[in-house]
Order: sequence, then structure tokens, then C-alpha cells
Amino acid sequence: MFDNVWLIPLFPLIGFLINGLFGKKIKNETVIGGIGAFAVLCSFVVSCMTILRLLSLPIEERLAEVKVFTWITSGNFNADIAFLVDPLSCVMIMVVTGVGFLIHLYSIGYMHGEEGFYRFFAYLNLFMFSMLLLVLGNNLLLMFVGWEGVGLCSYLLIGYYFHKKSAGDAGKKAFVMNRVGDFGFLLGGFALFWYLGASHNVWTIQFTEIAKNSHLLPTGGIVTVITLCFFLGATGKSAQIPLYTWLPDAMEGPTPVSALIHAATMVTAGVYMIARMNFLFIRSPETLMVVAVIGACTALFAATIGTAQYDIKRVLAYSTVSQLGYMFLAMGAGAFAAGIFHLMTHAFFKACLFLGSGAVIHSMHEALHHAHSHDDPQDMRNMGGLKSKMPLTFMTFLLATIAIAGIPGFSGFFSKDEILWQAFSNQHHGSLNYLLWGMGAIAAGLTAFYMFRLVFMTFYGESRITPKAKDHLHESPMIIVFPLLVLAALSVIGGYIGMPKIIGDALGGIPNYFEHYLEPVFRYSEEYLSQHSQHTALHPSHAVEWGLMGLSVLIALAGITVAFTMYVKNRELPSRFTATFPALHRAVYNKWYIDELYDFAIVNPVKAAGRFLWKGFDVVIVDGAVNGVANIVMAFAGVIRYLQSGFIYNYAWTMAFGVVVILGYYLFK
Amino acid sequence: MDMITFPTIDMTPILPEIYLSLLAMALLLINVFMPGRQKGYLGYISFVGVVAIAVMTASGWGIEVSSFSGSVIQDKFAIFFKIIFLLSAGLSILLSDQYMEREGCNHGELYPLILFTVVGMMLMACGTDLMTIFLGLEVMSVSLYILAGFNRANIKSNESGLKYFLLGAFSTGFLLYGMALTYGATGTTRIFGISGQLSQMAAPAANIMLLAGMLLMITGFAFKIAAAPFHMWTPDVYEGAPTPMTAFMSAGPKAAGFAAAIRILVISFPALQPDWSQLFWILAVLTMTIGNITALRQDNIKRMLAYSSIAHAGYALVGFAAGNETGVAGVLFYMLSYAFMNIGAFAIVILIAKKGETNGTVQDFAGFAFKRPLLAAVMSLFLFSLAGMPPTAGFIGKFYLFSGAVQQGYVWLAIIGVINSAVSVYYYLRVMVFMYMKNPSEEFEWATVTAPVALALIISAAGSIILGVVPSYVMQFAQQAAKLI
Amino acid sequence: METLFFLIVSIVAIASAVMVIACRNPINSALSLILTFFCLATYYVMLDAPFLAAVQVMVYAGAIMVLIVFTIMLLNIRIDATRRHSHMIFFGSIVGFATLFNTVYIVMKSRAATPATTVNVEALKAGHTELIGREMFTNFLLPFEITSILLLVAIVGAVVIAKKKI
Repeated sequence: MFDNVWLIPLFPLIGFLINGLFGKKIKNETVIGGIGAFAVLCSFVVSCMTILRLLSLPIEERLAEVKVFTWITSGNFNADIAFLVDPLSCVMIMVVTGVGFLIHLYSIGYMHGEEGFYRFFAYLNLFMFSMLLLVLGNNLLLMFVGWEGVGLCSYLLIGYYFHKKSAGDAGKKAFVMNRVGDFGFLLGGFALFWYLGASHNVWTIQFTEIAKNSHLLPTGGIVTVITLCFFLGATGKSAQIPLYTWLPDAMEGPTPVSALIHAATMVTAGVYMIARMNFLFIRSPETLMVVAVIGACTALFAATIGTAQYDIKRVLAYSTVSQLGYMFLAMGAGAFAAGIFHLMTHAFFKACLFLGSGAVIHSMHEALHHAHSHDDPQDMRNMGGLKSKMPLTFMTFLLATIAIAGIPGFSGFFSKDEILWQAFSNQHHGSLNYLLWGMGAIAAGLTAFYMFRLVFMTFYGESRITPKAKDHLHESPMIIVFPLLVLAALSVIGGYIGMPKIIGDALGGIPNYFEHYLEPVFRYSEEYLSQHSQHTALHPSHAVEWGLMGLSVLIALAGITVAFTMYVKNRELPSRFTATFPALHRAVYNKWYIDELYDFAIVNPVKAAGRFLWKGFDVVIVDGAVNGVANIVMAFAGVIRYLQSGFIYNYAWTMAFGVVVILGYYLFK
Repeated sequence: MDMITFPTIDMTPILPEIYLSLLAMALLLINVFMPGRQKGYLGYISFVGVVAIAVMTASGWGIEVSSFSGSVIQDKFAIFFKIIFLLSAGLSILLSDQYMEREGCNHGELYPLILFTVVGMMLMACGTDLMTIFLGLEVMSVSLYILAGFNRANIKSNESGLKYFLLGAFSTGFLLYGMALTYGATGTTRIFGISGQLSQMAAPAANIMLLAGMLLMITGFAFKIAAAPFHMWTPDVYEGAPTPMTAFMSAGPKAAGFAAAIRILVISFPALQPDWSQLFWILAVLTMTIGNITALRQDNIKRMLAYSSIAHAGYALVGFAAGNETGVAGVLFYMLSYAFMNIGAFAIVILIAKKGETNGTVQDFAGFAFKRPLLAAVMSLFLFSLAGMPPTAGFIGKFYLFSGAVQQGYVWLAIIGVINSAVSVYYYLRVMVFMYMKNPSEEFEWATVTAPVALALIISAAGSIILGVVPSYVMQFAQQAAKLI
Repeated sequence: METLFFLIVSIVAIASAVMVIACRNPINSALSLILTFFCLATYYVMLDAPFLAAVQVMVYAGAIMVLIVFTIMLLNIRIDATRRHSHMIFFGSIVGFATLFNTVYIVMKSRAATPATTVNVEALKAGHTELIGREMFTNFLLPFEITSILLLVAIVGAVVIAKKKI
């Protein structure tokens, strides 16, 4: 039925091998880029065929597992290289290959003339391969392989401009934080496997099998532990509190990378993973609450930081963190479909925004370069007035901004409103719901504010660069603009497949196609809820729903108005504002000092401990050793100092000591 | 006085040893009687011999023969390990010629000594008598002492050999004492006989002499596999020894130590399993942690790999501590994967360094990826595998080891193992950072890749990948081999 | 009578063993070691193992120690016994006493656990030399043969390490 699904990850792998091994010899950029993009295009075509075939099946049969070969067998443990085709994975492969293909195209234009062009495309294809493995894998282990793979590619691509120290550091930071998350993922996987096996004799890591046996799992208890572990993994990969600081730094990578990996696909892996294991998360009210609260906090917190950044990409980065927060809020509210829906629309408009900002930066860079200016091409304070210079970019950027701001009729509105509504009306968190909704709504207002601030500062007003440089500003070539157009169109219309029920009803009974389509994936959760409903679902009236919708739109409009007032009509306002509240501005501008806090609380102590272990002992202990054995503490420390001295009798002594301790312990135990 | 009646002798189990010894002796003679300073051809001969003997050894799979009235056995376990030994010896031989030529110590005795080491290791794997195992261990060790100090002109190499010799002799004392006590407690040195005696004892765990004997044997083997706190020789010896021999030492003898220890403990001392499992639990944690933490700050690449090899012994001990079939199969699989990835990594180290081992630091990898992209990619593969990143052999190996521990209920041990392997990523990654993200500090020449080295690299890289992507094929052999009892 | 003899031999053995590590002059150390080996041989005799006693004297005291003494004299080695690492004496003695304690404990406990075995009269009649010979050529044939490999390796090693030009 879906026999050729394995081709989807295979094409990018081939692309990676060709470009990685022979790219340096090929040299011709068109060929290299062409191979990279074509590989993804092939995957996209196969993905389209797959989803069409899936849609042609009756709803209850929309699930298939395609085994390629047996990977690991050991006792009762079994893992195959096998792919899972169901509505959820189909959405993901469509987003990944579709957006991925557009970004590949864009990169051909954007990376033109960069050193290591082939390296870039090789990494990009490797990323596509890992990402597709992640979403298609039918078991935890295969998912983990993809999970590690995308982390690695992210690391390599962030550090692409390795001659910049900040890029290398950012890469390292991303890697470290992701490792923390991976650790959680592994622990969760182990615990789940072990628990199901040891207490129910179901030794499996296959998603479908776990889902089928999920009725064996208790509510809360061990499931809470497992899901929290998985959620830790998700916070690392998807940049949620407390592991989010790597994502803004990741903007050191080339812009297409930011668009593909750090906005549209990889960072949503955490959301995907939770949706994939919805039947676990639904069984732990505690975890759902943690997820919802962390999501709402991240959404709000990152949005506040976004309001005071000047680097165009950093604004978008914080915006991404904030939007991911929305998705987790949806997951925590048990509204998995809404979260995935937002994942999709976000992929469209955020990719469009990033690519648009890339076009702007590109243009600014060239202009400044011609004018021999050393101003930062990414700083919005140097921009302004680009509307007339880059009309197409501006148009697409504006559309995507409207979409993210949540203006009715655009995709972001439908998905965000659905999430806010679910946060308000879900049956899991009782009165906490109001708070969640409130945080989400305020974040929505802030989003509208900072996004329009960005648009106004960048495209409106007068250009703030020298006239000489200004003349060099120009629209980007077609290969860069085309993906923007497609993505902008999707940002506008992409939402109509998932209209909230209330709007659909009002419009004459248009169903929420997207939710219906995903229903089979969340079947086990629904079953569980129908059996164990502890809280009765809140059923606020339609009037409340319309009211809340109106309110959130009003908040968004207010945000836009404020931005308009501050950055178009009355330009002194921002500086007066900062003058009035210098401390607040500084705190927000400096990202609430979170990085400094981490440095202070975690990084520096660890470093200091390392230094102490290495240098401290020498200094502290030498005296003690010379003075002999008067002081027992000193003597003990002296033992450690001698451990790796290079003197043979120390080694022999340690061995003998080990033997004596071991013997002593067992003889007298 | 009656005549001595000889037991019937079946040579099958020790045929590989016999052929290897004959080959080694032949090489010694050739070395003496053939003129000329160039002795590289001895390496080719021995490589071909090793391959042929490996094929012959493998063909015995499934045929179980015990011979010499129970001193030695041919079973799947022994064959699996013999293949690992031959593999690591073969790869090291391929690496030797170029390196030894560069260091000016390409003496013909090298190859026979490597082969004798393999003979010793093989006897450890197939011996079912404490005496056989001990003598095998001695043959292996004595050869290794010499190999470590083979570069006579280099003071570091001398130091390496001497240190290894003195400490090795010291640890052998413990091992032998343990064997003597065990013999005293049971009246036999046959390991099947010991288990028979144990099953007749009312409370074997309460027999102090037996317990002490087992513990002392464990410490003896712990030295050979470089488990903490018996690991301290490793960095010094690995650093000083000629690099191909370091590669060999890190893969072969470690596996041999595991082979003998597993056979003795699993067959002879199942009654004491709670005790030795617990001991290995502690040793595994100590070894992993000390190895990884210390490796973090090493600049010298050989020392770094030495500490890393300590850490890897710790991972393998996790599977050993589990003591179940999955765990033991995991150890077998891991030793095989480790031979591939670690010798591969050392091969790259050989290419990086110049005569006299200059340029042996992590910093010297700066910009390697831009000068030699393919070699850098291969090195990355080995490092990934060592770090246990999927989909490489190292990942699968660790996976089996830890899942063995989890199955036995040692969840914490598995967790500590996972944390440790997370820590280890840093120092492996550091090398990659230098390769891919730093500009070469100065122009310097890396050694050219000769055909044997290229072959070794291809074999190791292929092994690291294949064992990672399609491990089930090899794993099924490891699982069969792990069915010891 | 036997106990008295045992005590005397033991005192000599321990004293000479201490001398081995206490002497500054390597020759004295080596000679003390020979004395220790003789005492050990005496133990073997007392344990009805005359063959082992003979081997002990011939191989260790005779061959190996003579070689060592020769080497020391020939090379005229002067060990510069500085007291740089004398603090190790403390740590070393801790471990030493702990080892002693452990060993004593093992021996005492094991002796209490196992009943005294009767002397194998058959074996005594046949003689140890013959018995050992028989075992070596039957049950322990393989280990016996492996020793030849071990010796060969040692010889090759000696050549590699020591020969001026290879």
C-alpha cells in the first residue's frame, strides 16, 4: 500500500552523500544546489502521493506500518527500521518536505558565493533525512535516531560560519542544551519500555503497540514520571523554559537554516513527539498541567523579550519561542489537533518571515558593503523605508505578519484562536484555565506589537543608512522571491482547512477538516477521556466563545495600534519610554538576564568545580603532603593528589588499596 | 610403575593457536635469515596469515569440542572472541608498517610478537582451566610488555613498557593468588569442575577462601581491562607505546580480559553471582565516571583516547554486571564494535602525528576537515561511534549493554551509564570542533595514506557503520555465543 | 619439635624479607632474598613437598638470584636511595597491614571451616616427582606446552629489548 514511503527519507540521504562526498569536486553551485533541492522535491512528490493515498482510504484504515528491515533484536526487545504512515506523520512530512523544498530553493540564491556552498547543502540534506526519520519512525528508537540527527545538523549549521567565535559558541550552547533534553527523552523511553515490559510483559517500543496497550498504564504515577522525562526532551528540542536560551543564539547560523530548522521543522519536533504519544500524556493530569503552564509562560515570557530586541532575526527567534509556547499550551490543554494545526500554520508564516528577513539582510548587507559601512545589516535601527525598495518582500512579509498577529481571515488567527479557546474551555485544569487563557491573550497582544514594530521599523519611515548605500538597496532575485510568494499565500489561506467549529457553523456548517482528519491519531486518548472523565468539561456558551474571540482580536489590534503610534506616528515615544523606565527597558532588552543567570547559577559553578578539581587540589594539597601525615584530611587529599602522578609506586599502591578495600568489604560484610 | 596413559587429544580447539604460533616462528626465522632493513613484507605475510586463520576459526562455528581433558574448549563464545582478537591484530598490523618506518623501529620481531599476543589471548578465551587461562594471559602480557616498549629509541616508549611490565606483574600476583585460593577451596582448576564443587557446597558464599579467591581473580582481570581503581597504568602506557600497538592494546587484550573473566565467573561462580554482580556494579560506575571525567580535560589525543578506553571498559562492565544473556551478548558485541571504532580512531591519530609523536594534541586537528575532508569525515564517524551516537556501532553496543542492565533490574546503573555517555560527548565533540570549526594554525603536512592504512580505515569505517545499521546479523551470533551455560 | 623448627624458620624468613626492602645496598638485598627463598623451601619440605622444595632452591635461589647478583655486580648499580618519597612508607604500611589482616582472616576462617584432610598415603608412596610428572603429561599437558611459547616470547623479548642492533 505505502511500499514506497521509505523513498521519502532516502532521497535527501542520497543528496547528502553526493554533495558531501563529491561536492568539493563539483564546484558548480547550480549543480550542487540543484541536487540538494531536487532530492527534497522528490521526497515532496512521494509525500504528496502518500497523503493522497491515505486520504483515499476510509478513516479507520488510515494507518500503515512499512517495515524495511529488522534493526535490532535482543530477547524480547525488537526494533525495526520501519515507517509509520498515519494522518499525523503525513502532515509532518508534507510540512517538512514542502517548506523544506522552498527553503532549499531559496538557499540557492541566498548562499550564492558563500565559502563551503556544498557543505551547506550537504548538511541541509542530512537534516532533511534526520527530520523525516524522526517523523516517520514507527518506534521510539528510530525517532531518537532522528532526534539526535537533527540536533547534530542543527549544531553543524549554527556553527556554519565557524570563523565567527559567536557562531561556534552558539552551536555548542545549542548542542549542550539539546543533550540535556535528549537525556530526558532516553530516560523516558527506558522507563516506558521497562515498565510496560516488567509489569505487563509487553516488551515494545513501537508506537502503535504502546498505544494499543495503553489501557494497561495507570493514571498518573509512573506515567507522570515517564511523560515528564519526555517533556524534558521536548523543552530542549523545542526551546521551552528553562532550556530555551539556545534558540535566539542559534540565529548565528545562515538565515535559511533559521527558517528551516529553528522555525519551521526541528524545533517543532517536541510538539510532534507529544502529539505522537498523546495517549501517554493524557493519562497524567499533572504532566498536562506542567506542559500547559510551561507553554503559556514561555509564550508570554518570550513575547516580552521580543518587544525590545533590535536585531531583526532575534525578534523572530523570540517570536518562535513564544509561538512554540502556544503549541505546548495546546498540548497541555489536551487539544493535540489544535497544536499540530498551529505547528503547520506557524511553519508557513514563520518560514516566510525568516526568509523575508533574510532577503532584507541580504539586501542591506550588499548596500552597506558597497558603501563601505560597517553598520550591522541585521540591526533594525539601521533599516527603514524598505517598502519601496523591496515591494515584493514587503508584501509577503506583511501578509505573514498579519497572519502571526492573529487578524481574522488569516491562517494564524484560526490556529491561535483555537488554542486560546481550548486553553479556556478544556476539561483538565479547572480554574487554571482562565489564567492560561489570559497569558495566551496577552502574549497575542505582545506578538502583534513586536511584529508590527518590526515591520514599521524595517519597511516604513525613512531609511537610516547613508544615501550612497541606499541606492544599492534592491529587490532580491526571483529564486529568493518565489518561495516567499508561495509561503505568503499559504500563510493567508492555510488556515481555512481548520476553521474552528463555531466559525464554520456560522458560515453554514463547514466542518473543521483538519481536526477530523487527525482524529484517528488521538483515538486512544479520546477513549481514555470518555472512560475517565474526572472533571466535567466546561461548556461555556457560544456567546462566551464569540466574546473571547472578539477580545483576543481586540488585544491584537491594540498591539498593532500601539506599535503604529510608537514607531510611525510618534517616533519619540520609544525613546521617551525607555527614558522613563530605564530599568525595565534594560531588563527586557537584556532578555531578563536569563543568560547571565544561567552563567551565574550553572555554567560558572561547573567550570569552577572543574578548575578546583584540577588545579585546586595541587595547590591545596602540596603543603599537606610535605608536612607529612599529621592532618588526616590533608593525608586523604594527598592520596588523591598522587593518584595520577606518573610514579609507579603510586599506581601500585592504588591497586593494592583497591584490592584491600574490595576484600575487606566482602569478607567483613 | 605403570605406564602413563595419555588422554585422547583432539587438536581442533587449539588449531588456530597452533597455526598462529607456527606462522610466528616462521616469521622469526625469515626475519633472521633474510637480509635487508625493510621488514614491511613480514607485515603483509602476517596479515594474510591472520585473515586465513580467521576464516578457518570462523568455519568452526557451531562445532563444540572440548579437549585436553577439559583444559580447553571450542565453542561459539571462544570463536567469537577469537575473531575479535584476529580482527584487532589484523588492523594493527596494517597500521604498523607506515608508523614503524616513520619512527625508525620497523624491526621484524614486531609481527611475530603481535601474533604471539593473539595466541595468548585466544588461550584466554578458549581455556576452561585456570592454568590454561593463566598461561594464556602471561603469553599475552609478556608480548604486550615488549610491544609497548618496542620503540627502543623513544624514552616514553621505554617508560611505557617498563611501567606496564611492573604493574602487570604486580596484578598477575593477585590473579595467581586468587586462582590458588580457588584451587585450595575446590581442589580443582577446571572451571566446570569448580562449578560442580560449588553446586555441592551448602553455602558457597560463606566459604571465605573461595570468596577471596574469586575476588582476587576479579582484581587481576580488572587490571587487564583497565577498570578503576586498577586503571592507572593505562594513560601512561597508552601514551608511550607505539600508536598501532596502543590501538591493539586497547581493543584486543581488553576483550581477552573480558573473555576470561566472563567464562570463569559465569560458568564457575553462578552461585556467587549476587556478589560479583554487585562488585561489577560498583566497578562499572567508578570506571565510567573516572574515565570520562578525566578525559574531559586531556589535550594529548592518545591520553584522551586512553581515558576514553577506560570509560568504555566501564560501559562493558555494565553489561557484565547484569550477567544475563543480553548483557553478556552486549559485551561481546561491544568489544567487536570497539575494535572497529577505536582502532580506526587511532589510525587517524597516526596520520596526524609526525615522527616522535609530535602533533599529538587535539589542537593539531584544527582545520583537518578542510585539508582532508574524507579523512575528517571518517574520523567523525569513529568519534560518533565512540560517543554512542546513533546510527553507529557504538550506539547499538551501548544500547544492548544498558538494556541488559535494565532487564536485570539495574535501572540506576543504566541511568548512570547514559549520563556518562552524555558527558563523553563533550570530549569527542571537541576533536570535531577542531576539525570542522577551526582554521589550521599553521601549514603542516599530514602523513600520506598508504594502501594498508587505507584498507584498515575502510574496514573499521565499514564495521562501525554496518554494526550500527544492521546489527541484528552480528548480534544473533553474539547471542548464540553468550549462551554459555 | 616441629613447631619450634617452624618458628625458627619463620623468624628467619620474615627477618630476611624485611632485609630485602630495608637494605640500602642492592647486593645485600639480593642475598637476603636468597635466604628468604631457602626458608620457603624449608616450608615445602615440612609440607611433604620435596620436589617443590628442590625446584625452589635450584631455580629461584640458584639460577635466578645468581643471575640477579651477577647483573648487579657487573653493572655496579648504585641505587640512589633518596628519601624523597618516604611518605609513601606510611600509606604503604597502611595497605600492607590491611593486607596482612585480610590474609590472616582468610586463613583463620578457612581453617576453621575445613576439617583437616588426611594425608594421601598413596600419593606419598608414589612420590611427588612422579605424580607431578604424570599430571603434567596427562591432565595438564596443554598448560605444560604453553609454557614453551611463553619462554619463546620471553627470549624474543629479551633480544628486542636488550640487543644493541637488531
